[in-house]
Amino acid sequence: MAEAMADSYSQDSEPTTRTLLRRVLDTADTRTPQRRRSARIGAQKSLLETPSSRRLSISTKTNARQRSQRARSIGRLAHVQISGHLEEQTPRTLLKNILLTAPESSIMMPESVVKPVLTPQVVQSSRQESSQSSLELQLPELEPPTTLALGPVAPGRRKRRLRLSVFQQGIDQGLPLSQEPHGNASASSLTSSLNLTFATPLQPQSVKRPGLARRPPTHRAVDVGAFLQDLRDTSLALASPGNSLRTPVATLPTDTVLEDTQPFSQPLVGHSPSVHHSLPHLFYTEAKDAEKAVGHRTQSTGPRLQNHSPGKPAQLLATKAKNFTMSFTNTIRAISGKDEVEPLQGGVSEEAEESMEVNLSVSKVKDTTGTQGSVRTEKSERHTEMTEAVEAKEPEGSSDEDISGRTASPELVSSTTEFLQARQLPFLESAPPPNTAILSSEQLEPLPTRLPPRARTLGPRPHQDPHKTGLNHYVKLFSFYARMPMEKAALEMVEKCLDKYFQHLCDDLEVFSTHAGRKTVRPEDLELLMRRQGLVNDQVSLHVLVERHLPLEYRQLLIPCAFSGNSVFPAQ
Amino acid sequence: MALSTTVSQRKMIKRKAPRGFLKRVFKRQKPHLRLETSGDLLVHLNCLLFVHRLAEESRMNAYEAKCGVIKKEHVQAAAKVILKKSRG
Repeated sequence: MAEAMADSYSQDSEPTTRTLLRRVLDTADTRTPQRRRSARIGAQKSLLETPSSRRLSISTKTNARQRSQRARSIGRLAHVQISGHLEEQTPRTLLKNILLTAPESSIMMPESVVKPVLTPQVVQSSRQESSQSSLELQLPELEPPTTLALGPVAPGRRKRRLRLSVFQQGIDQGLPLSQEPHGNASASSLTSSLNLTFATPLQPQSVKRPGLARRPPTHRAVDVGAFLQDLRDTSLALASPGNSLRTPVATLPTDTVLEDTQPFSQPLVGHSPSVHHSLPHLFYTEAKDAEKAVGHRTQSTGPRLQNHSPGKPAQLLATKAKNFTMSFTNTIRAISGKDEVEPLQGGVSEEAEESMEVNLSVSKVKDTTGTQGSVRTEKSERHTEMTEAVEAKEPEGSSDEDISGRTASPELVSSTTEFLQARQLPFLESAPPPNTAILSSEQLEPLPTRLPPRARTLGPRPHQDPHKTGLNHYVKLFSFYARMPMEKAALEMVEKCLDKYFQHLCDDLEVFSTHAGRKTVRPEDLELLMRRQGLVNDQVSLHVLVERHLPLEYRQLLIPCAFSGNSVFPAQ
Repeated sequence: MALSTTVSQRKMIKRKAPRGFLKRVFKRQKPHLRLETSGDLLVHLNCLLFVHRLAEESRMNAYEAKCGVIKKEHVQAAAKVILKKSRG
């Protein structure tokens, strides 16, 4: 046992977690339970020794190695006691071990105690389990108290984890929850509790196995509200660019999150809380509606905006833009989405016009996308709200204002907003109807214009053109039968040949019909002609040719066929 | 009841016969004669066979001349032969 351990230790010239774990496993497997304990203890010590800086890899190997390292580093602590219970490896035993070890050891002690307990368990259990347990071992390094609960639980199954997780949660109450859940089979609550205990390894684990790592949940719900408020503030701030830009909104705790996603939103957010809170609420509601309506558009414009956020900020901005500027909707409709986004991205600063454009673009986009109705309602709501809100909303008029006083800016803004509102309403209302009118007119216009010109242009000369078109039909067949590239001169030659052929044909038919004493050409005349041409002979009959070369519909007309009721068609 | 003598318009015939064209040509050539409805199709058949023979002959001429493209001379020589054959 000692030998194996020594070997394992010696091999750890490069203490890679995998190698360590392998060694531990090898040593453990080859030995009896008692031996394993000892071996595990040694491995645990080595694991303990490993620096906590090592990332907590989800792989079992790494975990085992770390554990071994730690075990090495830590002196034997109640190993015998723990080892005695290790064999059972039941949740009860694990818990017992925890209880036994927890009070006896100090903060560091439990880690060592737990680690040795964990290592043997890990070795015995499957690699997954070992990995989980290894994580637990690692956890102790980061946060000793949690390890106690983690240790016994790790090797167990998910059930064990669940049980222990409850216990662990109790232990981990005070512990911060920073780490990501262990990706490997650790979806249970235990892993979550483990994550709580983890402080730093979360990131490394995710890096090693990005697929398994989970990102910490981002509380966007709160952000939206805060962001909306910020939008309001920023909108007001736009009126007074100096004030708003410089003063970040302190009321929003989630600003930091938003900042990352939308750097330009910060200056907007700087507006003071003087903005009516009612407005933010209204805007929030509107934003929700707008988001739904604009969701598609903003998402499309999201990448353009280059916003990291999935598009909520864009939506929020769009909603905000809508609120601010409506008058430009008509003019901006023609603007592409990119153009709209650009002002958003670049401009956010004081330019009320930009915001106007953005709003217009946003509103335009909305109109174009077809959510005009919703947009209109939103706009109408906004108008009402804007009228209600005396404070400056529209940045348009107050773009040039200084920071001198917010009251002054709000007043100006309010005036501008009112003006804008007046403009917006007619614009908004006129915008959609003109669009529809334009569309309808466009649809109608082409129809009447198309018919007359075509009728006039389709007046070919009576003699040549239809004759040529008919000949071309056979010329095409000639080119098809030839199966070779042909010169245009050759095709013209073919036309001449066809003309000659038709003349010959008609003459022959006339001769045949007059010979038969008829004035109409009958199919018998045609058959005689074909026979004379050599196409029809005793071996090949006319019917055969008809079947070969003519489509079925013509064959039915030409070849008499018997039908039910003792009838033959065509009648002979 | 038997089928109609005319093909319904709904049917999409791939190798349609330019029956109107043929009728017009015949009428222009021989105004005093009439052409039956079925005869129209047989005329079309005859034209098909003529064009087919012409093409084959032209191909053979071009191939004998070791030319990958059918030229006017080939067609002309072929027409001479075929027209003579189809005189009847």
